[in-house]
Amino acid sequence: MYDVIIIGAGPAGLSAATTSANEGLNVLVIDEYMKAGGRLLGQLYEEPDGTYWNGIKESNHLYEQARRSGAEIKLRNSVHNIEKSGDVWLVYTERATYETSHLLLATGAAESPLPVPGWTLPGVMSVGAAQVMTNVHRVKPGKRGVIIGVNPLAAVIASELQMAGVEVAALTLPQMNGLNEEAANPKQVMNQLLHVAHMAPSALIRQGSKWMKPSIMQQLGITFYPKSGFKMWGIPVHLRKAVTEILGDEKVAAVKLATVKPNGDVIEGTEEIITCDFVCIAGGLYPLTELAAVAGCPFYLVEELGGYVPLHNERMETALDGLYVAGNITGIEGAKIAIAQGVTAGLTMASNHGVPGLEARIDQSIKEIEHTRDSAPFHFHPDVKKGKQIVQEKWEEMMKAEQPL
Amino acid sequence: MNQQDFLVCRCEEVTYNELMETASRNGCTARELKLRTRAGMGYCGGRTCRPLVQQITKKLEQAPHTRVTLKYQPPVRPISFGVLGGGEE
Repeated sequence: MYDVIIIGAGPAGLSAATTSANEGLNVLVIDEYMKAGGRLLGQLYEEPDGTYWNGIKESNHLYEQARRSGAEIKLRNSVHNIEKSGDVWLVYTERATYETSHLLLATGAAESPLPVPGWTLPGVMSVGAAQVMTNVHRVKPGKRGVIIGVNPLAAVIASELQMAGVEVAALTLPQMNGLNEEAANPKQVMNQLLHVAHMAPSALIRQGSKWMKPSIMQQLGITFYPKSGFKMWGIPVHLRKAVTEILGDEKVAAVKLATVKPNGDVIEGTEEIITCDFVCIAGGLYPLTELAAVAGCPFYLVEELGGYVPLHNERMETALDGLYVAGNITGIEGAKIAIAQGVTAGLTMASNHGVPGLEARIDQSIKEIEHTRDSAPFHFHPDVKKGKQIVQEKWEEMMKAEQPL
Repeated sequence: MNQQDFLVCRCEEVTYNELMETASRNGCTARELKLRTRAGMGYCGGRTCRPLVQQITKKLEQAPHTRVTLKYQPPVRPISFGVLGGGEE
């Protein structure tokens, strides 16, 4: 019997483990991957101040911190079910069933696919998979790749692939179909990109192309967007071209690109072939909430947060007694925000377990989440703060509805 | 399968055209589309195609903001029969 079980050894889970173990709680962290760190492991990018954020280093640091605090960490073990029995949460894993009073779901996010004809060929992978292969396992996914889906995550990973010596032939849209309308519409993709345009300068200055910024800003109007695209880190970015098919007999050999109208319709006769030996699909991230759903948490669909999120309060408590959430399960954001949320969840669990005098620190940690969000260089969704407000409002509505009973 | 069609649910081999035709013919909810075509009902439990099945019916369905349109059921990860039956490792 543990005081706390945390599912997910990413930034949120590890920081919650350290925080609650430091308050004297008996903590177990479970993760299905062979390394601790979650999606933080693959991250490698330049901060606005010119320093590098290295996910492997940050993950090791969080892992060592959690170990030193006394938390037990079990990797390579999948949780397949959770269930409440009396006052105890049962956590069913591949290896054993564990019991705990407080259960934190820090399961992070999953990637959405953007299917196009040929996407089941070997050599097609999610952009996150290419990132993990390259940055975590140091295996090149191929020699020359095409990334389908133009968004901040795709751009960051494209630059990481390039740093690893992998050629990225293009970032481009998928041909529009009934499964991908937002990601395939040049106008909508452009609007999303405008919110991260301020991120472009540091990379461009590094390449000695200071004068490119204004010209890129000029080009950021989709009607005038050049059909030949613009270059970012030397990689062609096409918002007026879309992949209509991935080609290859036994594995990826090329993609077929066609020019599209501003509304995404293909212009006949514009097809061209780009050779490549792998293709990445960048459909964006959504909160991974399976276990919260199995437990019976109330949900709300918040597009600004990437999908369905379990309702929770500022202290990271869900509507179910003894069940908490932290990290990307509460909405798609950066690792630093996940770490801050983990601290709040850890303190709340300790307080609910009977550790006295934590209220001031909990309030402080909630402010710290806000502060981290406000100082983040960019947001996965421009209206993430509005999304957070919706969750707060829905939580309060639910609490009011329950009170008279 | 014609050249422009493609698989959406790999486990149950359900194609894009099959899903689109079924959805428009029957005005399906996500759940009905899943039950009619078996998309998302294979051994992976819909880990890849679940959001795609939801996307197809999004416009037809009154967006139910408060509940997940396709139910999750344990086990949420593939496990052996031994583990499912409560056997030891």
